[in-house]
Parts: sequence; C-alpha cells; structure tokens
Amino acid sequence: MENRKVVLRSKNLKLGYRKNGAKIVVAEDLDLELYAGKLTCLLGPNGVGKSTLVKTIMGQLPKLSGDILLHEKSIEKISNVELSKKVAVVLTDKVSLGNVTVYQMIALGRIPHTSWHGSMSKLDHQKVENAIQITKINYLRNSVLSELSDGQLQKVMIARALAQDGELLILDEPTAHLDMINRFEVMHLLRRIAKEEHKAILVVTHDLDIAIDTADEFWIMQCGQPMVCGTPEDLIISGRINLLLPDEKLQFDLFSGKVQDASPFKYPAIFGNETLARWLKSIIRKNAQSFSELDIEISIENAPFLLTVKDGDKLEHFYSFQQFIADFTIR
Amino acid sequence: MMLLMLILTFFINMSIGSVSIPFNEIVSRLLGNEFPRKSWEIIIFEYRLPKAFTAVLAGIALSVSGLQMQTFFRNPLAGPYVLGISSGAGLGVALLVMAGSAFGISFFSGGVGIWVVVIAAALGAILVLLLMSFTAWRVKDSMTLLIVGLMFGSLAGAIVSVLSYFSDANQLKVYTVWSMGSLGSTFAGQLELFFAACLVGLLPVLVFIKSYNAMLLGESYAKSMGVNIQRLRWGMIISTGILAGSATAFCGPIAFIGIAVPHMARLIFKTGDHRVLFPASALLGAIVLLVCDGISQLPGSAQTLPINAVTSLVGAPMVIWLILKRNFSKEF
Repeated sequence: MENRKVVLRSKNLKLGYRKNGAKIVVAEDLDLELYAGKLTCLLGPNGVGKSTLVKTIMGQLPKLSGDILLHEKSIEKISNVELSKKVAVVLTDKVSLGNVTVYQMIALGRIPHTSWHGSMSKLDHQKVENAIQITKINYLRNSVLSELSDGQLQKVMIARALAQDGELLILDEPTAHLDMINRFEVMHLLRRIAKEEHKAILVVTHDLDIAIDTADEFWIMQCGQPMVCGTPEDLIISGRINLLLPDEKLQFDLFSGKVQDASPFKYPAIFGNETLARWLKSIIRKNAQSFSELDIEISIENAPFLLTVKDGDKLEHFYSFQQFIADFTIR
Repeated sequence: MMLLMLILTFFINMSIGSVSIPFNEIVSRLLGNEFPRKSWEIIIFEYRLPKAFTAVLAGIALSVSGLQMQTFFRNPLAGPYVLGISSGAGLGVALLVMAGSAFGISFFSGGVGIWVVVIAAALGAILVLLLMSFTAWRVKDSMTLLIVGLMFGSLAGAIVSVLSYFSDANQLKVYTVWSMGSLGSTFAGQLELFFAACLVGLLPVLVFIKSYNAMLLGESYAKSMGVNIQRLRWGMIISTGILAGSATAFCGPIAFIGIAVPHMARLIFKTGDHRVLFPASALLGAIVLLVCDGISQLPGSAQTLPINAVTSLVGAPMVIWLILKRNFSKEF
C-alpha cells in the first residue's frame, strides 16, 4: 500500500542526555515508525521524556545508542541543511515578532531552500501560497503577527512548517493554550494535512479525546514502562490506554471514551430516555458524597423534561436537574 | 531615498564647523569650480572630508554590529557595548596611557602618538574578543554569553577606575579625551585601514544574512531550518569584533548608535527582514552619526562638543521614547 511508506524509523533507540559525564537514560529499546499520510500522537505525563524524544528525532539532541533512520539513512549522516528540507517543526517557543506579516512569516519556512542571500523564487512563492491555502488563512495574509490570536498564530506556524516542505512534520503541543474550538480545528487540520498532503505527522499532545478522534497511531510513554504503540481504538479496547492513567483512582471508560473515577459506584435504578439517563448518572456521580438515597427508582423523560422519583409508594416530580439535585443532596 | 539623504547630510556635515562653508560652494567645488577662498580647500580636504568619511564608516560599523547582536541574542538592548568590546578598547587605551605611571615607567615622552592609541584600543578590543570567543566555545547558551560580555565590560571598567586612581592628571586627561570619542582624529592612512576593516567586518554579515532571518524565530527554530548556530555565533563575534572594535579604536567609544539605530530602521521600514534591515541600519547609522557630528560642531560657534556626549544626548531619549511608545520586544 502506498500510504505504508515509512518516513522515519528508529531501531533500538536509547534516549537521554549526559550530565557530568554520567548517562541519564530517559527511554530505551524504542522501535518506532512514522508513515507518510499518518497522524501519530505522542502522549504521556509531563517529564516523561516526550520532548527528549522529539528533540532526538529532530536531530537537535544526540541519542545515547541505537539508530534513527530517515528514509533508511541515519540522521547523523544527514547535514543540517538536508535535514531541514525533510523535517519541519512547530515548537512551544514563544514567537514574539511585531513587524512581520503572516506572509513573511510563512516565507521564513523557505529558508532551507533559498540560496545564500535568501531571495524567493517563483516556486518558493508558490509553496507559500499553497501552505496558506491548505491552512485556510488567506484572510490573514497581510496581518501583522502581533495582531493574531493564539489559535490564528498556531495555524500560521503550521503553515510555516508546511512551506518548509518536509515529509515529516513534528509539532510539540500545538494545542496547548488554545480554546476548545481551536484545538479541534488545529488537530483536524493536521489530520487533513496528513491525508491530503501525504505527510508523516508527529504531534505531542495532552488532549486525549481530540487525539482519539484524529490520530491514526498512538505512542504512549509512561515513567519506567516500555512505550506502547498502536491504533488508538485497539489500545482502548485492550485497556492498554490505561497506561496513561497509572493512578488507580482513574480509568478510561470504554463506552463514553472519557477518563473517569474508577471507584465502584452503584446508581439508583434509572428508566427512560438513554441520553438523559447518561446525564442523570453524571450529576449523581458528581454529587456522590452527599447523595444518599440509592433505594429509589428514577424515571426520566424528555419534551417536556420530567424526572420522577419513586421512593416506596411516594412519587416526586422534578422539572430540571437543578431542582432534583438540590432536593436530594440536602436530605 | 535614504542614499540621497545620506549624500545630503554628508555635504551639510562638511559645511558645518567653526568656519562655515556654504553648502552650495561645496557642491560647486565638486563640480570642478574653485573655492573663492584658499583656506576652505585645506579645511575641506584635510579635515572635514576625512571626518565625514569616518562618521559614515563608524555609523555603518556600529549600527550593523548592533543589529547583529540584537537579532542573535534576541535582546532589544544588545549592542556593541554589551559584548564588552568598547570596554576592552577602553582598557587597552587606559593601560597604555595610565599604567605607565602606576608602574613608574613612562611609555611615551611628550605627546601620545595617535597611532599608538589606536593600536592600544585595537589590542584591547581583540583581547576581549578572544576572551569572548573562548567563552563562546565553552558555553553553548547565548544568554550566558551576553551576561559574560556584560561582566567583562564591568571588569574592564573597574580596572580603568583603579588605573585612573593611581595616574596623574595629564595622563588622566589623555584617557578622558579619548573616551569622549572623536571623529576628527583619523587621518588619511588610518581612514584607509578603517575602510578595509569595515569591508572585512561586513563580509560575515553577507554570508549569514539568511541565518539572521531564521534567528527571528529563536535558536531552536533556526536550527530546524538548517542554521548552524555555532557557526553563526562565530560569524557574529568576529564581525562585531572587527566592526565595533575598529570603530572604537579609531574614534573612541561612541554610545547608543549601535543600540538605537537598528530600532529606528525597524520602525521606519516596518519589517523584520534582514535583507532590508542591514542596509537600512547601515545607511541610517551613517546619517545619524553625521547629524550628531553636525550638532557637536555647535554651528555658529568655535566650540566643539565631544561626539560621545552628543550621541548619548540624542540616543538615550530616543531609546526611552521607543520603550514608552510600545512594547520594546515587539520591535523585532
């Protein structure tokens, strides 16, 4: 299959750094693969070594042992300039440039391709235009960077990386500091780029739910444990996704796809509309400490909203969750 | 446009001095006509023309080194003073002029030859430059380099203070006069050397002009775009060392040109592109220094102010104004 093309592969990779002559190993025995056309998400807690891995793949940090191959060629044998034509990045570094327009910023991505004095050829301009089209930021092209919102700036940085025209894009927490809609947009944009532009994309992220919706592949790192790789859905049904949640109190709920309190909980009997029942459970769970009445039956129906509590022979009606929970937690 | 302004200020600068020579007379002399007065010929060619050329060269050298440092260190307050180059040159001169008395030896009898001062300043600048290069080789972090540069500057300043405490009034005066800066003390032979130094110092800028644009995004991004940071750092140190070092050696320390002019260029051209900013800063630096020199001549009087005082008087309020006008860091 064409989209099984491996762009980057690591063999027996051992990551880490040297401090006062001693080797500090962050992760070892890594056999990783990044494919063209696939979006890979790297997940794991802070400090587990995600940045170390990313920097090593970018060639900015020397590996301890093993090998990283870009198109079957060791990245240490590839010159800086050659590497920059193959791998483009979006980092967490704050970019504070006032006097630079969006177009000029994206054009900076062409630096590895231009001659020593940096003048842009027709092809260079074309690549910049293309990056603007893909990221749909044409309306921003003449804006100055200091006028952009965080979400817009992130799209510009992605466009700049696209203009660099590598086969591999690496993004370090591109959705941090973004609001919900921008997170969603950025991740779906990355997925579209992977599919339509046929790039291999590696994203470091903490946004589990959006990552599940967009990634083709997960790499999960956890302190002191071997890295887990696989299709997100496979990791979910096999329960291996719980590697992200070493805390016993939390677990990944298979049905809702959410991280939840793992302690067992007995709900009262609930009848009626399934969607409403789900949210009823949610509010009962949230108020679990003070919710004492479990020997009741609750029926719930929609349009108009009606919540009926049957306690023995007694029937009580509520017309909103607020009414219900106020009544039941005071008792 | 700016080139025209440069030429204009160049001629205005030549017409200003204790003897006022009309602007149109200078232009007509250039067109092949004779000056109505013989003395003007000598004033212009022996004194004012070299001085104006010196101002142009020093302006270019200082502002181009300032721009390089500001971009490389990503610090809007960086300038040739910051890497301790000017202080190093000052130390060289101080050692030459004052250390003699401290050790009971006199290095010079009678007047100090201007060449000797130039050589001492150049040696001082080169010494600091070598120390900085050594530091750059040992530490990888640019911020550390900046701080070390500041410390070298303070150290050199302290040594100068100690020396001046032990030296006698005459020697102190020689040093003080040098430290006030002067564009008028370069003569034909030195001017050619200064010109050559500037050309050599500008070469690394041409080589790395693209890398400076990449540096706008910071070191990590620059690296990801194939910039060799170590090589760029060496280029920056060598270039600023030669440019700022020679300017300080020939003219004495001249403050604020290096830090203020790149900001003016950014403000005027509203761009971060170094292919525009380098020539713009160079031209603007030359213009500003010519204007400052014109002011220092105090038109209409026979007095002359030290150039360093004038650039500080013009430059310091400008930097303050820039800071107040808008967020300084957004200037980049």
